[in-house]
Order: sequence, then structure tokens, then C-alpha cells
Amino acid sequence: MLDDAVYREFEEVVGPDNISREPAILDGYTYQIVFNPTPSPWLNRPAAVALPCSTEEVQGIVKVCNRHHVRFKAHSTGWGVFNAPGYEDMIILDLRRMNRILQIDENNMFALVEPYITCNQLQAEAMKKGLNCHIIGAGPNTSVLASCTSVGGVGWTGISMGYNCRNVLGVEWVLPTGEVVRLGSPGSGDGWFSGDGPGPSLRGIMRGLFGAMGGLGVFTRVAVKLFNWPGPKRIDARGLMFDIKAEVPENIKLYILLFPDMQRFLDATYDLGDAEIGWIHSRNPAGMLFTFLFPGLMRETAGRPAMRSAMESIKHMVSFGIAASSPGELAYQEKVVREVIARNDGVLIDMGKLPQFESFMLFGLMRSTLSAFVFRAGGNFASSLVGEETTDSGAPQVDLGVRIKQEYIDKGALIDDMADTVWGSIYENNLFAHYESLMTFDSRDPRQQEWIKVDEEVVDELIDRKWGIGIGLSGAGTVVHKKFGPHMCNYDKWQRRIKKALDPEGLSDPIGYTEPGD
Amino acid sequence: MMIEELSGIVGADRVSKEKASLEAYASDNSFTEGCAPSAIVSPVNAEQVVEIINLAAREKAGLVPSSSAPPRFRGDTVPEREDSVVVDLTGMDRIIKINRRNKVALIEPGVTFGRLAREVAKEGLKVLMPLLPREGKSVVGSYLEREPILIPKYHWDVTDPLLCAEVIFGTGDMFRTGSAAGPGDLEDQWASERYQKNPMGPGQSDLIRVVQGARGTVGLVTWASVRLEPLPSASRTFIVAADSFGELLGLVYSMLRRKLGEEFLVLNGTDLAAIVGGDREEIEELKGRLPPWSLIYRVAGFKYFPSDRVSYQVNDIGDLAGAEGLEPCRSLAGVSEEDIGGVLDGTSGEPYWKFGYLGGFADIFLIATLEMVPSFLELMEEEAKKAEYPSGNIGMYVQPIQQGRSCHVEFTLYYDEGDEGERQKVRGLCDSAIRRLMDSGGFFSRPFGPWCELPFDRCPDTAMLLGKIGKMLDPDGILNPGKIPYRVV
Amino acid sequence: MALREYERDIRGCSRCSICKWVPFAQIKSVDCATVCPSISRYNFHSYSGGGRLILGLSLLEDRVELTEEVADIIYKCVMCGACEVSCKIYRDDIDVLRVIEELRFACVENGMMLPEHMMMVDAMKQEDNVFGEPKSARGDWAKDLGLKDINKEKADVLFHAGCRLSYDEGLRGVVRGAASILSDAGVDLGIAGADEACCGGRAFEVGYRGELEKYAEDFASRVKASGCSKLVTPCSDCYGAFKQLYPMVGKELGVEVLHVVEYVEMLMGQGRIRPTVKVPLKVTYHDPCHLGRRGEPYREWEGEDKLKRPSAFKMSGTRGVYDAPREILSRLPAVELVEMERIREYAWCCGAGGGVMEAYPEFNSWSANERVDEALATGAQAIVTACPWCERSFTDALEERDEDLEVLDLMELLARSLGSEPDA
Repeated sequence: MLDDAVYREFEEVVGPDNISREPAILDGYTYQIVFNPTPSPWLNRPAAVALPCSTEEVQGIVKVCNRHHVRFKAHSTGWGVFNAPGYEDMIILDLRRMNRILQIDENNMFALVEPYITCNQLQAEAMKKGLNCHIIGAGPNTSVLASCTSVGGVGWTGISMGYNCRNVLGVEWVLPTGEVVRLGSPGSGDGWFSGDGPGPSLRGIMRGLFGAMGGLGVFTRVAVKLFNWPGPKRIDARGLMFDIKAEVPENIKLYILLFPDMQRFLDATYDLGDAEIGWIHSRNPAGMLFTFLFPGLMRETAGRPAMRSAMESIKHMVSFGIAASSPGELAYQEKVVREVIARNDGVLIDMGKLPQFESFMLFGLMRSTLSAFVFRAGGNFASSLVGEETTDSGAPQVDLGVRIKQEYIDKGALIDDMADTVWGSIYENNLFAHYESLMTFDSRDPRQQEWIKVDEEVVDELIDRKWGIGIGLSGAGTVVHKKFGPHMCNYDKWQRRIKKALDPEGLSDPIGYTEPGD
Repeated sequence: MMIEELSGIVGADRVSKEKASLEAYASDNSFTEGCAPSAIVSPVNAEQVVEIINLAAREKAGLVPSSSAPPRFRGDTVPEREDSVVVDLTGMDRIIKINRRNKVALIEPGVTFGRLAREVAKEGLKVLMPLLPREGKSVVGSYLEREPILIPKYHWDVTDPLLCAEVIFGTGDMFRTGSAAGPGDLEDQWASERYQKNPMGPGQSDLIRVVQGARGTVGLVTWASVRLEPLPSASRTFIVAADSFGELLGLVYSMLRRKLGEEFLVLNGTDLAAIVGGDREEIEELKGRLPPWSLIYRVAGFKYFPSDRVSYQVNDIGDLAGAEGLEPCRSLAGVSEEDIGGVLDGTSGEPYWKFGYLGGFADIFLIATLEMVPSFLELMEEEAKKAEYPSGNIGMYVQPIQQGRSCHVEFTLYYDEGDEGERQKVRGLCDSAIRRLMDSGGFFSRPFGPWCELPFDRCPDTAMLLGKIGKMLDPDGILNPGKIPYRVV
Repeated sequence: MALREYERDIRGCSRCSICKWVPFAQIKSVDCATVCPSISRYNFHSYSGGGRLILGLSLLEDRVELTEEVADIIYKCVMCGACEVSCKIYRDDIDVLRVIEELRFACVENGMMLPEHMMMVDAMKQEDNVFGEPKSARGDWAKDLGLKDINKEKADVLFHAGCRLSYDEGLRGVVRGAASILSDAGVDLGIAGADEACCGGRAFEVGYRGELEKYAEDFASRVKASGCSKLVTPCSDCYGAFKQLYPMVGKELGVEVLHVVEYVEMLMGQGRIRPTVKVPLKVTYHDPCHLGRRGEPYREWEGEDKLKRPSAFKMSGTRGVYDAPREILSRLPAVELVEMERIREYAWCCGAGGGVMEAYPEFNSWSANERVDEALATGAQAIVTACPWCERSFTDALEERDEDLEVLDLMELLARSLGSEPDA
């Protein structure tokens, strides 16, 4: 419970309409099922929820928190367990009123956005200026800022548009103690084109492979890189999803690439990376697509040997896209991809020959509208793996993830999706790869409460074999650090020190980051 | 710091108190004022570096890391405290690993550009070069300084081409950044096909970003993995001449947008003459012949259909240039494709190319967006006029970074090295120009020389936060003291 | 409470907030990306479709009590169904709108009704219309049109005007125009006049399911008695009740139910209506919720596991009426249609539904103004719709603004194009 006087101080900052302690409102910020390892959808109920509309209001709230030792956490779109309060008696800052694109710099290819601008919105506006943004795998309904500053950053356009951690330019940051810092060039009033310096880059404190998940204050603006978009300003489509009909521009090509085995998938991926072609590259095993698109059919047929055999034979499947700026570039990239496929004994399916499918997949891949299909099979999902190293290093990890997952499928703890639902994408022309093993389940089913055990087993084996780190256990937080830290130069010690330096009182919800310490 | 203790760590033959050697560090080719170190210690491995740092912490002595051969610039290695010990890392020069498939090399700080380029070329790879580094320049040192590389399309993020690193912080803790952190040691990682390629993390911080740009003030890097790219199978190099930078801007933006071209930079006539010319007379003569501005770029093809790639890029760039009323040429005013190729691929000959024109030079460099460059050029000319410095002697180099989101702008003020009056004039010009450039929106992201405090005055909040982080990573303030102003909160 | 029957739906919510957004492939700008008026206006998550599911779970688990504050959240929703459309793209197993309805039924069961809604329902009980206007005046709109009285003689088509068009004198031209157009096309048209009663849809939406059942029962017997083969209405609210709500409460009217735009389109196709007068006007079309996604015919599915529910039984909004009005517009000489960004299944609501017009006029006005802004951005001279509740909302919103935007029902525009614009 918040003291009435403290509540009034918060109220003075945001106005009475923009703060609430009504339990029914608070429960909206207490419920999370995605990546929630507990059987209950309810986590800690906060003491209040505020809706600041400006950096000044965010700062005002944080200062009140510091005056009265109240923990806080901010979120933008608020999806997933890491948005839930780590403790009771906290205040949640729902940043949805900070929803402006403040700038799209067409020449210098970046946008300055507030927290509640989604990938979808930014893409729609950027395309009007011949630009595009990397949409993360979690889907277009997620906050651009959050994937840049606070969470992950993977996605299907990583081959051409990178990883959002690395797409960050200037940042505006309300520190846990209430000071406002602008990282890089905006700190000196020089525009938002750089987030680094003077001197050392504090972006490295702001986040790493993952963001601090609300544990290091509140990010209120970010300048994010945009990339060339050679397509039209808007692709008009009729329909909502499966019925989408759109005219796919001539300079956009979409393919399904199939490989006979993992090695040839890997070799082709290296070739495509070296050739520096491609706009979209994502390993999407056929079983995964079938499970997401036809969950009913998969339920009926997943156990049948014929179905398994069919899916197994096309599991090394890649969605690949080209977006070319000239006929010459298009011709070159098409020629290369066909040659790469030929040399690696693959099969190339030109989606352009299947117009309805191409329309559907255009939005599916370009806008990541396919992402939320992960919920169709059973209503919930989780992930394991994520080596995030070389493309080659992922291959045995995929096998590991599939093997462990199959055990749980066999005992009914997960939905049978053929086990290999490891989607993978490459970044920056194959600088590194991300592999993520999805598992689908129905968290309403008492038998399907064990996804976290899959995660734990995968992580333990990855560590034992010294193969990689794994995304397991929701990616962050003290539990994860205890597991990973000793195997990774005790990085958790530095995080505790960072936390202590920036937030000695531990007010910015430490649950997804770490407690302050030495 | 006691010589004996240092000798105990590295061996007596790797500790120097020889006066000439010490004096060589007391100044560099910048206006930085400092002093000679008390000793030079040359460790050969990370364990020794750890011990040296622990010793310095006990003794409260400064440590000045140095990983390149002289001549040195920009003041990074000029000690500010007399008790400082230079940690000479040039002896740590192993190329630990080169992996062709993953296009990466793992190298120690003493590895130079020239040597690495030769070694990786054997594997069909190329090192991402800055503009004509001196032969003895440390690759790791250059990347840690955020020296821009010539190929903007490979500069995805500011850390590039630096990937992972082993760092010894001022606390004496050894740390490995990115995916190199583990699990497993390097051998384990290689055994599972991991080649220290992911620069992010570990965990929820990216300490490599803090190490980079810190001028050696938070940690000493004992090895790093660096991004390599394929050597082209075919290439062609072009120059686009223009009377002003502004004329090139449209073409530069449109090429960057489409990631056309490989190496890609803009030089004014003075810098281009200084690069391709020989002695002073030849450079003067070239300056008269060369266009005021040149966009230099290379197009290339790789494993698959290299000539097709070259061909479509040449055509596309030709179309873009034509739309701007510009014409790409293979050679210009006697500067041949071969001359330009040397600029893009090589290290500087001896002496370092900036010495060739007038013997002395001073650099001013900052980052900005490309459209800001013309106003900076104007400003520099005004300041030069005020200082009675011939503006025609200003070399200008514009290097797009982060794939074109901004650019490195470098002014080189050439002067007669024997003329102290001229030197002081240039120093005064630097001082006034730097202040005006800052006031006009130039971001001095890499503080240098005697002006290293100025950028922090403009961002007190950042400086405050940096102070906390500096204290955390180097609590005793022993690493290269004074080079970054970690302000006490 | 019956809410319990939807517990599985509720527990399926992933809190992804897709319910707040226009279906992704149809997001065209930063400003017109949101689709839910309630969350857009009140911001706390509980005001979204997903937030309402969570609220339902809180109630089921007794984490919160059904207080006035909670009822206020429940009722600040236009029940436009946009959340349902966006959610259903991905989810087979969540019926968001059904849960929203159950929350309202719970309010009524627990005496947590809003006074404005109680007044409306009382008025319905007394006068068979939502305004409490005299029942005897219900058929006055048809004076001098020479329409058959269905109580006295048989007609092939029963024309149901609905409460709004029967009593809103500002919209008289709409209803008279619609009836005249059909009549002039040779349709054998009859009306119930003073005996026409409310469809009951608005009572249902504010939580009075029983009232709807009563009206549906009564209406079904009247229709049967009339012997008509078609029921045609110019009111989308009524249309939605007939197509979606009546089957939901188990009442089938046994005749073909058409919105007037559907019927007119059909008649145009048969050449019985031929608009020839040029009306040079750039217009944009507003899809009424109850003609579109909430006019989608309901089909009861008996299974338990909705993950196995065939798509034909899923209320996805795609089977609403979207093409007929556009087809009519395309046949009007010199009329140019410029579309807004949020149309068809994902149209933004005018704000009149769900009892909001009655209880929260400021919210109604806010939502209508959002839509007016969107319409103005197209450069249109008129916003055309096919529902009197929408037309009333936009007209009232524009009264407060100095904008050059005409609000028209499609039948009014058609009448102009037929050269037969009737007096109001």
C-alpha cells in the first residue's frame, strides 16, 4: 500500500486521471502468462499505476520514488513476464501516452521515437520516406524503444537491418535516481545521430545482449537506425491475414529455400552472408509453420508417421527475401541465390508463383505479422536455446533443443509440433546467428506446466557442454545470473556494481536485472 | 613504482628506465602537455597485465597503455603524472586465430595493420582499414579509439570492427566481453564452432562499449576478435570530382542508403595530394591540379558472379551520379586507379603520410551528420582567415560511419614543423576552431589532446554518470589518468 | 455467473495487446494505428479488450469486487468489436466480445447498472423505444409516403426503421429517403408504424440480456404474423441485433434480413434503381460497427475446445457488410470515394455503441471527433455512413467544430443521385 500523501505526490506529477490504485486497474498490470514460470497468471500487484506523458513527468515520478523509497518499473507495450512488478507496493509506469515519432531523418536514416511507438507504426511511417525498420521477432505490436534499450532485438530482417541493440543512436534516459541523461550527441545538444561518447559509450551500461528489463531506470526517447526501403510508400492490401491480397512490388522477391540437411543449410547461409545479399533470412522449419498456421490439422496428424516423415524431409526450410533498389541489383541477387541453392543441393520456391501465399508472406515477413501465430496452437509459448554465436555453432544446439523438447512432447507436457520449431535468423550478413527453440503449450492444461524445465535442461546442457549460454529462464534476472555468471567471467558481479553505481537503493525494479552489490 | 616489483612480474629485460625511451613518451605529435613516465614495462601476457595493474593499484601509480609503434598522435600515450608507468603492449603481438568461414581474427594488441592484412589475405580475407594507418599502428588500438574504417557498409555499429575482447579492468579483474565470455575458454569455444563473433553482452551490459573510446582509462585489452570481410574477386575504383563538398552530398547520401560501393570516403584536394604526392613540391603541384573535392569509392565482387556485381553497381552509381550532374572517373588529374588503390588498401609509407607535406600537422576531428559538413568547412575557413593561416593548407577528410548515419570529419592543419611560430599559430587556430565547431553542432565524441575536457563540459549529466562508471571500473584512478575526466559526483 | 463459462477464453489471454491495434497488415500510419476507442481514451490496460478479460478473471477469482468503479470501467466501452477482430486473427480460442458482454450481464445481475442505462431500459419498457418517446408517434416519420401498414395488409418486405430513425427528426430525410427509394423501385414495402418496437439490441449491450430475449421473441412473432419474406432496415444497430444478437439468444426471425444498403445494391444490380444525377462530391465512407463486424451473422457452435472450432463459427468480423455500400457509391455518378485508413473490419467506431452515447456523452463525442479527424484527412467533403447512430454522433461532433464536412447517410446521397431527395 502506498501512503496517501505519497500517492498525492504522484498524482500531482501526472494528474488524477493518469494514476490509479483501483485494484481492478492494478490487476491489468499483475497478470502475465508469457514466460511466466509459475502456475498462476498473477504476479505481484503494484500499489499504483501511472501514465506519464513526458520525460518531465517520468522524472517527477522517479524523484517521488526516491524521496519515499518506492520501487518503480516502466513498460511500454507491457507484454511478457518481465513487465510485471517484481514486488508489491511498487508503482508501474505505463508509458503508453508517450507515443510520438518525434523525427524521421530521411537522409541520415534514423527515427527518434518515444516508448509507445510500435514497430508497426514506425515501419508504416518510415516507408513513406523510403526507409524501413528492423521489426523484432516478438512482432510488430512491440515497442521500438523497448527492443533498443531494454529487452532483446532479434528478428527476421537481421540479415539486412541488424539487431536492435546495435541499432541504437542517441538515447534519453531517466536514471534510477531521477537525473536525465542523454547518451551521445544529444547530451551535448548536437542532434540524435550518435549514442556514444564523448569518450566511453554509456550504451554499454544501458544494456547488453539483453536490456535491463526495467532495472536501470526509464528510457524515454531513442534514436533508432532505419534502413533503405526500395519498395512503395505503402503497400495497400485487402484482407486481414490469410485472406490478404496485395500487389507485391516487382523489386521485392520472396522465396522458400529448402535444404536436404543441416550442413547444406549452414553452407548456403554462409554463402548468402558472404555474397551480402538478402533482405530477410529466417530458418522456419516446416513443422513450425504448419503448427502455427494449421494448429487443428497438426493436432490431428502430428502423431502420424506419414506427417512426421513429410515434415522431417522439409524441415531445413528458410524464408528468404530480396528488396532491390534497381533492376540490376535484383537480377544480381536473384542470380546469386539461385546459384547458392544449386551449389548446395537445395530447392528454391519462388513465392511469386503463388500470389496468394506471397501476399500473406509479404506481410508475414516484412512486418512480422506471423509472430503471434505462436499462440494459436495452445494459447501460450516459451523459448529455449539462443546461442547467438556463429551460424555453425547453432547446429548442434538445434539438435539438443529438439531432443530435450521431444521428451516433453512425448509425455504430453508440450503440444506436438514436430519438436523442431527452432527458428533462426542471421545478423549483419551473417556476423552471428540467433536460434530460438519455440515450444507451444496450453497453460490452462494442468499437464502443460513444465516449459521452464525444458529451458533448464537445455541451459544446463549448453553450459555443461560449453556450447553456449541459452536464453533460458526468461533471459534475465538473478536466477539466470546465478546459473550463467560463474561460466561467463562473473558478469553478474559487474551488473551488481552497475546497479549499485546507478541505483544504490535498488528502486528501479531489480527483478529482471539484479540487486545492487559489490 | 618499484622497478624490482615490475621486473618480478615481467622479467628485468622487459622493464626499461632508459632515459631516451622514457622521454619519447613525454610528448607526441599533438599539443598535449605531459611528462615522461617513470618506467616502461612490456608484459607478454594477460596474467602479467593483471599483476601490473594490481601493483599499480597498491602503489597508486598511473599506468599508460601503449600498443602502437611511434610516431604517436593525439595525446593518448603522454603521461600526465610523473609516477606513471607506460605499459608497452607491442610485444603482445600474436595472431591467435584466423577463421575464414566466420571471417574473424583473434589478435593481441601489438598486432599491426600491415601484418594482419598480409596474414588474413592468405585466407582470402581483408582487414577493415582506417585511412592509411602507419605501418606500426595497432589494429586493436585503432579500433578501441573508434578510428573510422573506410568501408561504411561494414560499420554497422560504432564498435565495429571490434567484436569481443579480453580486458583487465582497473580493479585487476580479467573479463571477456561478448560471446567470448563463455562458457568455456577459447579452446572450448572453438571446439564448438564459436569464434567470438557476437559483440554483445555478456548479460545485460556491454562493457566493451565502455572500454572503447576510454583511451585506456578503464581497462587494458589483452586480446580482441575483429571482424574481417572477404577479399574481392574483382574490383574497380572511381573518383568523383566536385568543386564543393555540397555538390557531392546527394550522391554520397544515395550511395550510402543503398550500401553501394565498398571503400567510400571524401577528401579535399589538399589531403588527396598529401596522400598520393611524394615530397612537398609534388604535393603543392598536385594541389593545384586536383579538384577541390573528391569522392573516392571502390566497387567489388566476391565469390559469386563478381563481375556481375561490379557491373550493376557501376551502372547504378553511374545513374545516381548522373542525376546529380556528376561523373565517376577511373583516374583524375594524373591520379591513377592504382594510386587510389594504395590509399584504400595500404598502410602509410614512411614517414607517415601527414608528415610528407610540411613536416608538421595537427588534427581536429569530430562527428556530425553529413549535411552539417559544409557549414563546418565554412567555419574552418573563417577561423583560418582570422588566424592568418592559409586555408588551402587545410586537409579535409570526411568518412561516413555507421553506414551513413553520421560521418567522421577530420581537418588536418599542415604546418612547417621547423617553425615554432607556425606551430603556435596552428595551436591557437585549433583552439578557436574546436570551440566554434562545438558550438556549431560538431560532436567531439573522441576527446583528444589538450581539449579533452571540453566535450564533457557540454554534457554534465553524461559526465556525472561516466564518473560513477569510471569509479567502478578503475576505483583507484590508475589507468591513464587525466585522459577522460571522470568527474567526482 | 456465466462469465465462468468463458474462463478458459480469459485464461488464454497472452496480454499481447493486439486487441488495441488495427490488424497489422492494415496499419498505414502512426496516427490511425489504434482501433479501440476505450483504451485509446482511458489508457489503463483494463480498458482494452485484453484488459477486460483480465478484469473478468479478477472478478472470477474474487480478487476484486464488482464496485461502482469497476462497473465504470466495464461500461466505458463502445462494444464495437474491433478488439475481437484483431484478436481473432491469431486466436481461435478467445471470444473477447462475449466476455465483455458477460461483464455487463454481471453488472445488471449485481445491481451495478448505470442510471442512464436504467432510464433507457425503463423507457423501452414503457414506450418500446430507447428514448421514452410516445409509442404512438413511432410511425410519424412515414406520413404521406403511402407505405403499407403491415398490421393491416400484407407486404413482401417489412421495413423496420428503428428507434433512432423513428424519432430523431434531424434524420428524418434518411428514413424517408430509404423507404421512398425502395418504394419507387417497386418494392412491396410495409411498415409496422406505431406498432414497431425496439429491437432490444441496446438493452442487451448494456447488460440486459433478458430484455433482448423479450424483444426478440416479440419481434419474431410479429415478423411471422406479417407474412413478409424480407426484413429490411436502414438502422445498422437493429441490423446487428437481428443478425448477431437474436441468433445468439436462440431467436431466428425466419425471413431474410437485409440492411437497406444490401437490398439497394441488389436492386441496382437488377436495374431497378438507376442513379443518373451527377453529384460531384468527394466522400469517405464510415463502416458502422453493427453493419460490419458486429453485423456478422452469428452461428452457434456446440463444441468445448474452441481450438477445434471451425472458422465458419468464429466471429472474425470478415462476414460483415462492407462491399455493398461501396458498390452503391461506385455507381453514383460524379461521386468519388476516398477511403479512410481504418475501414471495413477494422473501422474506428463513432462512439455511440455499448450504452456510451447514453452514459458517457463526452466519450462518445471524443470517439466521433477522432473519426471526423480521420475523415478530414482524406480531403473528403462528406462522411457517408449507413447508421443513424453514427450519423448522429458525427453531426453532433461537427456542430462543435468549424469544419467543412457534410454528414450523410448513404440513402440520402443516393436520393440526391436519383434526383428525388425528399424533404425531411
